[in-house]
Amino acid sequence: MILSLLIFLPLIGALVVALLPDNQHIPFKWLTLGVAMAELLLSVVAYTQFDQQQAGYQLLEQADWITLPLGNLGVVSIDYLLGVDGISLPLVVLSSVILLIGVLSSWTIENRQKAYFSLYLLLSGTIMGCFVALDFFLFFLFFEFMLLPMYFLIGLWGGPRREYASIKFFLYTLLGSVLILLVMIGLYLSVMDPVSTAVMAGLATDAASVDQDLIRLVQAQLADMHISSSQIVHTFDLRYMADGGNYLPNAFLSGAGETTFWGIPARMIAFWAVFLGFAIKLPIVPLHTWLPDAHVEAPTPVSVVLAGVLLKIGGYGFIRIAWGLFPDGGAQYAQTLAGLGVLSIVYGGLNALAQNDLKKMIAYSSVSHMGFVLLGVASLTSEGINGAIYQMVSHGVLSAMLFLIVGVIYDRTHDRRIDSYRGLLQVMPHYAVLTAVAFFGSLGLPGFSGFVGELFTLMGGFQSLWLPGWLPSVAVSGIVLAAAYLLWSLQRMFFGPLWTRDGVESTLTDLNGRERLMLIPLGLLALLLGLLPNVLFNLSNATVAQWLEKFNV
Amino acid sequence: MLPIILLSVFGIVLLFMGFLKSKVLLLPATLVFILAALATTFMDWGKTYLYFQNMLLTNNLAILFTTIVLLSAFMVVALSNSFIEDEQAQPAEYYALLLFSLVGAIMMISFENLIMLFVGVEILSVAMYVLAGSDKHSPRSNEAALKYFLMGAFATGIMLFGIALLYGATGTFVVSGIKSYVYTNAYGVSLLLYMGIILLLIGMLFKVSAAPFHFWTPDVYDGTPGLFTAFMSTVVKTAGFAALFRVLSVSFVGVYSFWWGTLAALTCLTLLIGNVTAVYQTSFKRMMAYSSISHAGYLLIGLTALGTQTKQALVFYSLAYSLATISAFGVLLVVSRQRQDTNGVNENFDAFNGLARQNPLLGFVMAVSMLSLAGIPLTAGFWGKFMIFTTAADKGIYWILVFAVLMSTVGIYYYFRVIIAMYFREGAAEPVKVAPFYRYVLIAATILTLVLGLAPGLLEGLV
Amino acid sequence: MNASYLPSDYLPVLIQLGLALGFIITTMIVTHSIGPKRKSQKKDDPFECGIPVEGDARTPISIKYFLIAILFVLFDVEVIFLYPWAVNFKGLGVTGFIEMVLFMGLLLAGFYYIIRKGVLKWE
Repeated sequence: MILSLLIFLPLIGALVVALLPDNQHIPFKWLTLGVAMAELLLSVVAYTQFDQQQAGYQLLEQADWITLPLGNLGVVSIDYLLGVDGISLPLVVLSSVILLIGVLSSWTIENRQKAYFSLYLLLSGTIMGCFVALDFFLFFLFFEFMLLPMYFLIGLWGGPRREYASIKFFLYTLLGSVLILLVMIGLYLSVMDPVSTAVMAGLATDAASVDQDLIRLVQAQLADMHISSSQIVHTFDLRYMADGGNYLPNAFLSGAGETTFWGIPARMIAFWAVFLGFAIKLPIVPLHTWLPDAHVEAPTPVSVVLAGVLLKIGGYGFIRIAWGLFPDGGAQYAQTLAGLGVLSIVYGGLNALAQNDLKKMIAYSSVSHMGFVLLGVASLTSEGINGAIYQMVSHGVLSAMLFLIVGVIYDRTHDRRIDSYRGLLQVMPHYAVLTAVAFFGSLGLPGFSGFVGELFTLMGGFQSLWLPGWLPSVAVSGIVLAAAYLLWSLQRMFFGPLWTRDGVESTLTDLNGRERLMLIPLGLLALLLGLLPNVLFNLSNATVAQWLEKFNV
Repeated sequence: MLPIILLSVFGIVLLFMGFLKSKVLLLPATLVFILAALATTFMDWGKTYLYFQNMLLTNNLAILFTTIVLLSAFMVVALSNSFIEDEQAQPAEYYALLLFSLVGAIMMISFENLIMLFVGVEILSVAMYVLAGSDKHSPRSNEAALKYFLMGAFATGIMLFGIALLYGATGTFVVSGIKSYVYTNAYGVSLLLYMGIILLLIGMLFKVSAAPFHFWTPDVYDGTPGLFTAFMSTVVKTAGFAALFRVLSVSFVGVYSFWWGTLAALTCLTLLIGNVTAVYQTSFKRMMAYSSISHAGYLLIGLTALGTQTKQALVFYSLAYSLATISAFGVLLVVSRQRQDTNGVNENFDAFNGLARQNPLLGFVMAVSMLSLAGIPLTAGFWGKFMIFTTAADKGIYWILVFAVLMSTVGIYYYFRVIIAMYFREGAAEPVKVAPFYRYVLIAATILTLVLGLAPGLLEGLV
Repeated sequence: MNASYLPSDYLPVLIQLGLALGFIITTMIVTHSIGPKRKSQKKDDPFECGIPVEGDARTPISIKYFLIAILFVLFDVEVIFLYPWAVNFKGLGVTGFIEMVLFMGLLLAGFYYIIRKGVLKWE
């Protein structure tokens, strides 16, 4: 019930806002703020109800949604299936925090408020849906539908090149999601639902009486081809898709890997297709070029949500779907994948170093930091995966903070160039302090969350049986690069005598109450996560341990 | 087969109603006539009947296709209120021709004898030739009519030749007779049969504007008055695919290995040409013409991967496509007429600039229709594509699937140009005026698109 | 009658075809190559009974001619249906009679429509 509320509260909110008359007196932002606060409350309740010792999915909700007969394919049954585990719950909580901060950051939106907040709430609902959906199809629907509000948010409230940036964002991500769609269809044809199949095959009287032993029996019978094709019930359920026993023996994507294209097993191609789909979202070099464009054109709150939450869906998809459903692919190509991660880290860092636009620099730093997520996942070690989840949460908090910081200076002067400012410390001391916190957190200073995430992913990389030692060693240079570009910017913008390029010193006022309300909690959160990393690790550890069992060959 | 008779009689009645002083009655009368035909269509629901000495066969599939065709026609007619104001227009004749063309469409959907297919195609086409040229004073409309007529006559000729060869090979015109010939002579099918299949396919593919027989489409769609373009791209296409499905799935299913490769190649060509060329258009109407070519490509995938779920996929896709196309043309009609530039009606993308600001409803209708055509989830178009793709996956033709999916991302680009124009650009400050009834039709089409997107199972079990 | 012909049976036809084509082609080539050619402005004029050329060859003629011609063909063709019916009048019986009345009714309705539309009015 609680997960449904997480999804539908913002969706209903979006509908209500859309149906209200477009009137100056209706406080759309307060309404949205209320919804976002309720979301935070709900995710905290979900957090308290979650049993951290247990590995499986919890808070499950299931209902039939769409059933479509497809001839001899049987019936497409798409379930409304929700649940969270140690991988998704941290991201759910993170999303609700960032989305709440995003509403506060949207306070300055004056233009077409009704449409803006309606789309914002729609976006919130689909993001939550992405993280809690356990039915592949449901996940896909949320994943793809999420593009629409994002597209309009960038395209309508964005900067001068918003048309280009928004359609580029849309096309890139859509190309990724159609790859995912292809694999989804293939998976669907290859996987059975053991519970319903047991009932269909007469091995059980009803779904409730099916237990683990019976599922194993059904799987054994399936492997021996004792179950006729008309009795097999196909499914989109991610839980069943992750279990190799549920794959039809001769199916397209079955583990035996009999289907090959140009000598490559279909499963490996499917793995790469899903990987690319999510790698575009994460993003991984060389598929990252939409990100700087989107960030530069997007308004501040949209940037915050984009960097803070949307990129995480890529990492989440890696763990849940790309590696979760195709562990063999993850293991076989571990080196290449980790190599791509390291490439992102270094390439993103070098690019960030070369930027003069503060927002573009932070966008490239995101590319660099998300590279650590890929490195951690590809390492296939407990440290690496836990570190990747940690890095996602940490980057969510810190990048949101960084984009808010850009927003603060942009609101005042409409100029984001680093070399347009000097000595800001003198007029904006509070701003300078919070910027320093965010920068130090991002460059991995011990005591802040960024340190823990990067440390653990690198540890995973070094410990991994699959990766050569030089890969994580090169990745370390990413931290050095981060220190370089962040500290250099800090020094250039904040120290020395006060100077601005256009002589706009008078507009530079220190943070107002609303900006503090956004930045201080995020800074504290980064500090808290850095000092007490166990808060998160306890959450994810049991699930990750069970998740890794697939790779014990 | 009451709808055929009724529509013919109603068409004649409409011709005579045109002599009345007041033309107000014509539009509601036509709507009532189409509804009556729709009602009588359902009298045969759940049964299989042969009519007119085994000339026509109705079953549930035929009834569903007929329903789509009649529904499309109903909406097109409902959007035709501008005829009353137009001095040049001759609404009685237009409506009569629409009804006559529906007769042809229904014959194409439910033929059992290839002669009926030919007669149906001719009835449908001749009416469309006239309607394409109905804007008598526009050179573009004249050009469209002449081009359509010449190319169409040529294609029907080829098709008739194909039918003749099929008769030569099998000794029968009956669809199921050809099927039994193919099965009894599985190892020694006459060469004439192969020739006949190819020629018949060429004729039919021309009618559904599949590449490389698509050259007429852009000019004809562009020149024809908008309302009839909507009719052409929905009714003619749906009927054409229904006919193709019947002939391929019944008569020629035994020689599937012969034609599927050809059809697969043409499918890819159609998808490529339709989608890539649409990207370069500046006129919305021409874009829609190329988009209709690309949708013919998607529908052809269903035929290439002929299987048990093909018919369901075709019905769903045709319905989703028709709904979206009609609402798109509906919006185009009012917008182009009221936002004229120096060349008369403005059918370019820039006519839509800022539309969402002044007319949120029209903007929303257009956006939903474009999203449905692009196949974005929670619209009917997504499920249509999904079903079509599943048929290909089930048949194991993965390369065509990958190609189609890539092409559908190209589609996003040009469909979104309209959305960009409507939502992101600044345009005329004058809102476009929309008559209430017109608005209801657009809303109904949009709601149907969304409902089918949320609950595609609604059509479950009908075919 | 023997219904199966061998391809060789068509050989005479082929020879005949070849000869006919050959004759035409040869005569055309030969007359073109050996005939005398004299060119002058008068000679290259389109010939019009010796009268100087006047106006454009594509003079529009009234659409009425076409309409009348088309209508004539239409009704002419449809009247042909009466002959087979008349031949089988007894065999087709009452059903045939009713069908023919319907057919003629539609034909007359069309005729009435034409008159009302003023197609047959010349001025």
